[in-house]
Amino acid sequence: MIRIAIIRFPGTNCDRDTLHVIKNILKINTELVWHTDNNIDKYDVAILPGGFSYGDNLRAGIIAAHSPALKIIKDMANKGKPILGICNGFQILVESGLLPGSLLYNSSLKFVCKWINVKVNNCKTSFTSDCKKSSILRMPIAHAEGRYFIDNKGLKELKRNNQIVFTYVNEQGIKNERSNPNGSLENIAGISNIEGNVVGLMPHPERSSEKILSPYNNDDGIKIIQSVVNNLKG
Amino acid sequence: MSTQRGTYKVIVKIENKPLIKDPEGEVILRDLLMKNNYNQVSNIRTAKLLEFEVKANNSENAKKIIKEICDELRIYNPLVSNCIIELEEES
Amino acid sequence: MNNNILSQFSLTGKEIKAIKNRLKREPNELEIAMFDAEWSEHCSYKSSKNILKQFPTEGKNVLLGPGFDAGIIDAGNGNVITIHVESHNHPSAIDPYGGAATGVGGILRDIISVGTRPIALLNALRFGEFETSNRSKWLFKQVVKGIGDYGNCVGIPTVGGEVQFDSSFERNCLVDVVCIGYGKENEIVLGEAKNVSDLIIIVGGKTGRDGIQGASFSSQNLGVENEEDRAAVQIPEPFTKKQILEATLESVKTGNITGVKDLGGGGLTCGLSEIGDKGGTGIQIQIEKVPVRDSNMSSMEIMISESQERMLFVVKQGYENEIFKIFDKYDLIYSIIGKVIKDKQLVIKDEEKIIAKLPISFLANAPEIFHKSKKPEYIKLMEKFEKPDQPNNLGKVLLKLLSSPNISSKKWVYEQYDHEVGASTVIKPGKSGAAVLRLPNNRYLALKADGNSKHCYIDPYNGSAGILAESCRNILSVGAKPIAMVDHLQFGNPNDPEVFWSFTESVKGMADYCKAIELPCVGGKVSFYNEDEIENKAIKPSPLSSVIGFIDDPLKIRSLLSQKKSNIILSIGITNEELGGSEYYEQIHKVVGGKVPQVDFKYEKRLHDAYLRVSEEELIDSSIDCSQGGIATALSEICIENNLGAKINIDSINHNCKRHDEMLFSESHGRFLLTSSKNNLDRVMKIFNKYSIPCNQIGELDSNEIIINSNKRNILNVRLDEVKDSYENKISKVMRD
Repeated sequence: MIRIAIIRFPGTNCDRDTLHVIKNILKINTELVWHTDNNIDKYDVAILPGGFSYGDNLRAGIIAAHSPALKIIKDMANKGKPILGICNGFQILVESGLLPGSLLYNSSLKFVCKWINVKVNNCKTSFTSDCKKSSILRMPIAHAEGRYFIDNKGLKELKRNNQIVFTYVNEQGIKNERSNPNGSLENIAGISNIEGNVVGLMPHPERSSEKILSPYNNDDGIKIIQSVVNNLKG
Repeated sequence: MSTQRGTYKVIVKIENKPLIKDPEGEVILRDLLMKNNYNQVSNIRTAKLLEFEVKANNSENAKKIIKEICDELRIYNPLVSNCIIELEEES
Repeated sequence: MNNNILSQFSLTGKEIKAIKNRLKREPNELEIAMFDAEWSEHCSYKSSKNILKQFPTEGKNVLLGPGFDAGIIDAGNGNVITIHVESHNHPSAIDPYGGAATGVGGILRDIISVGTRPIALLNALRFGEFETSNRSKWLFKQVVKGIGDYGNCVGIPTVGGEVQFDSSFERNCLVDVVCIGYGKENEIVLGEAKNVSDLIIIVGGKTGRDGIQGASFSSQNLGVENEEDRAAVQIPEPFTKKQILEATLESVKTGNITGVKDLGGGGLTCGLSEIGDKGGTGIQIQIEKVPVRDSNMSSMEIMISESQERMLFVVKQGYENEIFKIFDKYDLIYSIIGKVIKDKQLVIKDEEKIIAKLPISFLANAPEIFHKSKKPEYIKLMEKFEKPDQPNNLGKVLLKLLSSPNISSKKWVYEQYDHEVGASTVIKPGKSGAAVLRLPNNRYLALKADGNSKHCYIDPYNGSAGILAESCRNILSVGAKPIAMVDHLQFGNPNDPEVFWSFTESVKGMADYCKAIELPCVGGKVSFYNEDEIENKAIKPSPLSSVIGFIDDPLKIRSLLSQKKSNIILSIGITNEELGGSEYYEQIHKVVGGKVPQVDFKYEKRLHDAYLRVSEEELIDSSIDCSQGGIATALSEICIENNLGAKINIDSINHNCKRHDEMLFSESHGRFLLTSSKNNLDRVMKIFNKYSIPCNQIGELDSNEIIINSNKRNILNVRLDEVKDSYENKISKVMRD
């Protein structure tokens, strides 16, 4: 029986939303786990949800990155357990070194909340195995520090290892400036580690998992959690 | 250099590396200065400033302690930023 | 007590006399400061209490009406909705970012303090002409950022609101925030200290010098010297608020909290006096136990400080450690500062010494002030109004109107607010007249806030009744029935009889509307003194109403989007020649005057009943209410959302107008545009006719032009792409420069 942990830090906001999708819609055993809990590694999957951990003070995700929880999560990642970081969760994974690169302030210098499209480039990660390659998922973003950046060397590595999992595209699937909501390098919306079991993305799949909540009447986001569940089952 | 044991004020300036785009600096230059005819200014870059009050044996030590803290706790992200550490009198 | 000291405070001679008479002694400086805070207009409602009595406050869904930190509505199965409104006008005019942010903080505190989780925020903002005034542009930018940063950090979705621009708000911008909460009826706690010997605990931030004399500051007009008065500004701390939110909700679940009170305007003085007054007890505190930021703060500063993020908890003796464990988990500072006593006094002690002792109910209930009122001269002058001529090119007029700031899309604003957090926002900003949220118990909540200062300026009675009519229309248009409202009344100096006349007329209008359609008022606020001393100019009267309603079946939720692609357009209601205060007169012709849209109360009741029937039978595909910019604007909005033009015969609407511009741009109440299918047409018309509400088929959604004909002649023809461009980009264009 699969057990998923949704890690809560002081300031985490999207934990209950994520819990609702996994528990009530997918009917998978899942719990909210406070970050100082010693039993995080007893779970099969760890999800770091969105929010403003520690108020985003100093830099989004940096303070939470120093929590002892991240040491445990690093071990879990090394053992191959799936780890997902959504929005602030992605920021925390990047700040703690589980994922490469950096998430900077949006080019527009403003917080932006709107629905965008992402193309799935890699369907071999723990969280995209249920997706078709090059398929387009519609999800909302809501962030101020979502501009992905990495140096040239790092970018080459990401490309070589197929670590760029999601890119911002327009409705036709074209990657261009207009479809980039925050100035991210190469429209990068989400990446994985080399092994593919740690994934981080800025868009919110838990907010696009029910048709009634989508302006497009879609539930694309649910595929992301469904992937890991099916992965572990089968 | 001060050699007394005491409380020192250490200023840490965290600025993004030149290769990183600085939209805030650009907007201030373009929309505030240029639009008000201050053409002599050619570039603006923003930074974050932290002031630490630290107990140390001497001023060099004070700076050393703060550098360690900034590195260890990743107060600045070395991929993205440079970290300049100075004593209050020096800056 | 010498006059020098007294002059620092804003208590009137009459009030000081009343204090001396009651105490039978001279009050000391600390005590005077406490009266000054609690008896300020902002905390005491001394000028308005009497007038506010007109509002009906009871209804079958109402569990708690006005007077506490939030109104409470029964949401079914033991769950409740809480609602309250707050403003932060004066701080926002000086430090717009901090003022607006702490305004959000304040209203969140109210909802949290009754034991419910905030689930949505709405805000209503009013600024000067931001296209021409750099100051207004700056205020607008900073206020939106302040609200966004705070709400986003605490993780509460901002799902709707309103922004209006008018030159009367140039010096005094208005920032109103409404908050909705959700919780369990058996977990509600109120701001009362009921049990003697209960402990009083302060939790949250440390008490500092921020906001010193803030409450009385907000009750004074803003003059030049006050611009520099930064001590009155409060610093926002949304992360601390988030911690307090989680800690309070966890604590309340233990069942051992007897009362919670948030500390806002008037700080500890107001908080302590109010919990004692409501609880029928007295309070004794030790001032030295209050955690302070600066060690040399005086007792007076501590008692009136408005440092943010502080709450009072009233806890049964013996149960405090359980609560402290929760506070520790969330890294909150706390301290036992006193206890509930039998003697109905507020006793402040410093160690062994009593430094203040005041009768608690007397302190908490300022003597009312009964102001004079007089109908303003300007209203009489405006009755002699000369109608402007109708322009030749009505298409051009429509495009100009769509790009005017009050009408054009507010996307620039709401994209800075996280409106999706909570994964419950079914109808999002810009998609309909009202926002719709899914509640945890699987019912749906519609919510809206509306104001119209231009209407209220010319005719406060109809203007104010009108904003309620508009809020209700918006609630109906998404498929809900209005069940409760809160109001916020914002005016100039009440000592000015003309201002006070507008205030009383405004309340009367809103109260009459509430009575006519049986809509209870469950809370509200009054903000006076929104006036500029230099220019001697008051803001236009700015009442705000916020209405909520429930929807049980998600299939009945409607928006601008024609889900089933039906394209027959129906006009509901009557268009009268009522262009006073309209966007058309003020934006296109730059004239202020004329007849403001009147509210026909009997008609409104029938309209509600008819609309609800049609809604219940799912006969409508999409819906929009007609308000600012008239039918032409409403039509444009439906066309934009459905990406289709329209072909309309304007003569088919029910109207009493002589000219086309009047038909297109009048802002008469009680009107909707609906789309419906051929199959449902007969039934829709039958129902509206039964209630004597005019329902006319006026055209259909079609192609990519908006074509309006009259008497077989074309009177307006614009392309859909022009319409979209005018509507969508104005505000972001201006804010980019």
